[in-house]
Amino acid sequence: MQEFETVIGLEVHVELLTRTKLFCGCSTAFGAAPNTQVCPVCLGLPGGMLPLLNKTAAEYTIKAALALNCTVTPNLTFDRKNYFYADLPKGFQISQFFYPMGTNGYLEIHHNGESKKIGIRQLHLEEDTGKLSHFGDIISSPYSRVDFNRAGVPLMEIVSEPDIRSAEEARLYLQKLRTILCYLGISDCKMEEGSMRCDANISLRPVGSSELGKKTELKNMNSFRSVFRGIEYEVERQRTILLSGDSIIPETRHWDEAKGITRAMRSKFVSADYRCFPDPNIPPFPVDTKWVESIQASIPELPDAKYYRFIEEYGLPPYDAEVLTGTKELADFYEEVLTCYREPKTVSNWIMSELMGHLNAAGIGITEAKIKAKDLGKLLQLVGKGEISGKMAKSVFEEMFATGEDPELIIKKQGLAQISDEDTLDGIINTVLAANPQSVQDYHSGKKKALGFLVGQIMKETKGQANPQLVNKMLEEKLKSS
Amino acid sequence: MSGDKLTAAELAASIKEGALQLTEHGENVSRLCTKAQSEFNIFINFNPNDITKESERLAGKVGSGAELPLAGVPFCLADNICTLELKTTCGSRMLASYRPLTEDGAVRRLKEKGALLAAKGNMDEFGIGAGGRNSFFGAIKNPCNPEHTGGSGAAAAVASGAVSFSLATDRCGELRQAAAYCGVLGLKPTYGRISRQGLIDSAPSMEQAGIIARQTKDLASALSIVCGADPQDPTSSSCGVPDFNALIEEKPRSVKIALPYLWDDLAALEGEVKDAIAALLCRLEGNYFSLETVPLEYFHHASTTAAMISAVEAFSNLSNYDGVRFGFRGESKHLHDMYRQTRTEGFSSNLKKFLTFGALISSGKYYHDCFLKAQKMRSLIKDELEKCLLQYDLLVVPTVPFKAPLLGSGISPLLPDFAAYYTAAASLAGLPALTFPLKDPAQKGGLPVAGLQLIGKAWDEKTLLQVSLLLEEELL
Ligand SMILES: [Zn+2]
Repeated sequence: MQEFETVIGLEVHVELLTRTKLFCGCSTAFGAAPNTQVCPVCLGLPGGMLPLLNKTAAEYTIKAALALNCTVTPNLTFDRKNYFYADLPKGFQISQFFYPMGTNGYLEIHHNGESKKIGIRQLHLEEDTGKLSHFGDIISSPYSRVDFNRAGVPLMEIVSEPDIRSAEEARLYLQKLRTILCYLGISDCKMEEGSMRCDANISLRPVGSSELGKKTELKNMNSFRSVFRGIEYEVERQRTILLSGDSIIPETRHWDEAKGITRAMRSKFVSADYRCFPDPNIPPFPVDTKWVESIQASIPELPDAKYYRFIEEYGLPPYDAEVLTGTKELADFYEEVLTCYREPKTVSNWIMSELMGHLNAAGIGITEAKIKAKDLGKLLQLVGKGEISGKMAKSVFEEMFATGEDPELIIKKQGLAQISDEDTLDGIINTVLAANPQSVQDYHSGKKKALGFLVGQIMKETKGQANPQLVNKMLEEKLKSS
Repeated sequence: MSGDKLTAAELAASIKEGALQLTEHGENVSRLCTKAQSEFNIFINFNPNDITKESERLAGKVGSGAELPLAGVPFCLADNICTLELKTTCGSRMLASYRPLTEDGAVRRLKEKGALLAAKGNMDEFGIGAGGRNSFFGAIKNPCNPEHTGGSGAAAAVASGAVSFSLATDRCGELRQAAAYCGVLGLKPTYGRISRQGLIDSAPSMEQAGIIARQTKDLASALSIVCGADPQDPTSSSCGVPDFNALIEEKPRSVKIALPYLWDDLAALEGEVKDAIAALLCRLEGNYFSLETVPLEYFHHASTTAAMISAVEAFSNLSNYDGVRFGFRGESKHLHDMYRQTRTEGFSSNLKKFLTFGALISSGKYYHDCFLKAQKMRSLIKDELEKCLLQYDLLVVPTVPFKAPLLGSGISPLLPDFAAYYTAAASLAGLPALTFPLKDPAQKGGLPVAGLQLIGKAWDEKTLLQVSLLLEEELL
């Protein structure tokens, strides 16, 4: 059977976390009543104000371009992309068609311990559209509703090279992109709320071929999981067609999450001709080196740098490093624990199993957790010093996660502290020995099992709080000398 | 007294001194406007009560002792410039009852200085050059001869004596052409001189507000007020605005004038216009002026180039007229149908031809063959003009190749647009240009013969005004 190679390129749109829209002062807050965050500019009213560029949006886009290793344009220019649609108030979208903010970048994904660079063709800034709702189909709907709150919200589009070879790589690319943008604090990248949207261009070609096959464009994937499932399905669909000797129809297809299939979209406006030209109302804005340098300086350590540093500096396995650098907050938490307890692998184990297990069960993120990094460090210190057992520590952790309380306080409250004081233990051992002369005799006559019984009695007497190692040591010394 | 002979400054002074009562003056302006409207159809949504109300409001301001250099000076505003209190129609059915939510920056400045907004000027639909013959509100008649077009209500209102000056926009030269048809002065300043915020423009890369007046001093007075950077308009310039009132008092010294070689080699150029311009140029030589002929290659492609670029920009700029959010909405069964009906019924057939032309030359292979070539030609025209103006103070040409056309004669919104033959270059290059009226000594048919157009260096409106005043006071 013929072998095919999958070729995928992703077009990702993310809304930027600016307070106001790209060219006017309207709020970008999500979830307001329809058409309450609008003005003459974003409604495209005749004689409305002229567009005034939101510098923060430009800065965020430059930040993303730098973080994705792109070349940044020396001049910020905007163009008009002309087309008619009811969700597009001006009849054109202001975008960066001729000179995108960033070009020629890449990001790195890590898969099965291997790294791969995915090229970023370009990254640019544009306006979002309004939201249209019909009853069913646009033609048969008796009327349509439109909400312009979203119209003019700054949107960044990131176009990858067709370097992605599987649904899994697509998922990893998307996840890494989200991680980077979240690290930068420029977007919340919530696919479910539409602040991150992804379209995929998918084609297959015979293994060894360097030409691109006929592609389909897959839309309407509203979660990371549906991106993965949608691509998997579409790749299989194309493979089946190609194996049967047919060819792929280049078209736009919709992912149907409920049915788990993709289907061809009825095209409404077939208009690839956007008649782009520079927007005369927005003069070019120079991007000077100083500005770029100051933006560069404000970029925090990015996930990949952190990933390699964690491996290098803490000797962590790549898997641990990948998980711990998944969000900036988690990585920061990890490093804060380390300042109190410098056993990188132990801390990593605790975070990846206990902490993340609890977070997942509670369905919350690290920022919403009550437990403090310093306190986890303290808890691990106590375990290290042998003041509590590992088993006890887990129940203390549970309490810390639920209440956010100091571990020492919890240990005190629950009376969980380990008895490691030799004088106290000496008295208890003496009492137990006096009460069990038969076992002492058994021990001396060579029955080693008797030792275990005596330890058990001591633990029972101390409600399990005696330090077991110490008890063993002291008991043996005492028996040998008696 | 009508204020016909007084300058704006003199009129304002007599009002401030109490020699002229504002309410009485307002009634007079109202009467003149009413008469002009009934004879020449120069206003849209005209209501004499608006003038009465406005002059009463101003009377209060004058009484309070505010600094008002234009107190009571009546002006007309082309109906594509927004005001909060009046409708703004752009001469189109599409906006026949549209009331904007914003006010034009220049209008605000004029009102603050006491100017009296008399009425909104009738105009070609969206200002797209049809010589005043393509308004939803009817053709504009020329006060010098009502059988001919007045070009625009803004120019005709000034020519009729109803107002002292008008504020209008100039796309490919419409403001200057209309002023020439009506025998008055018209000044399109450098692109960026006057804020474009509050204009309903159709060619944003060229369109610029300007002033029409009967006297050079009035151009200077209005210009001194409306010019200047506007933080709301990123295309406006922060270039310093001089006091034009003071500057025009200085006489220019030895002005070097360039005349394009073969300027009169145009079939559409009427003999009368050509002779009048040639005669004037002869008189200028030696008198303050030195005149040389310069070879200009690209200048002659300006009107074609401007028509293409402005058509593409108009197609894009007028895409917001879809019936969804404002203005006229056509009856329809569904969304796509609504667009079609709205634009079919809301726009005139001339405008639709022009927009279709813009849509065509920006699509498919025409994008490269026409639109991009026009953009390249624009740079060549601009470079050529700027280079020429490094050596000369002014470039002179006729304003329009012909006198005001007869009403009812054919309109061609498409190519070739000879009306813009001489005016388009300054629009493409963003340079200031002034039209000076040449009156016919024999008064044949009452129509002004022609306009002499002066094109200046960027930001050098001063020289244009000084030369205009010199022509006005000494040479003609
Ligand atoms: Zn807005």
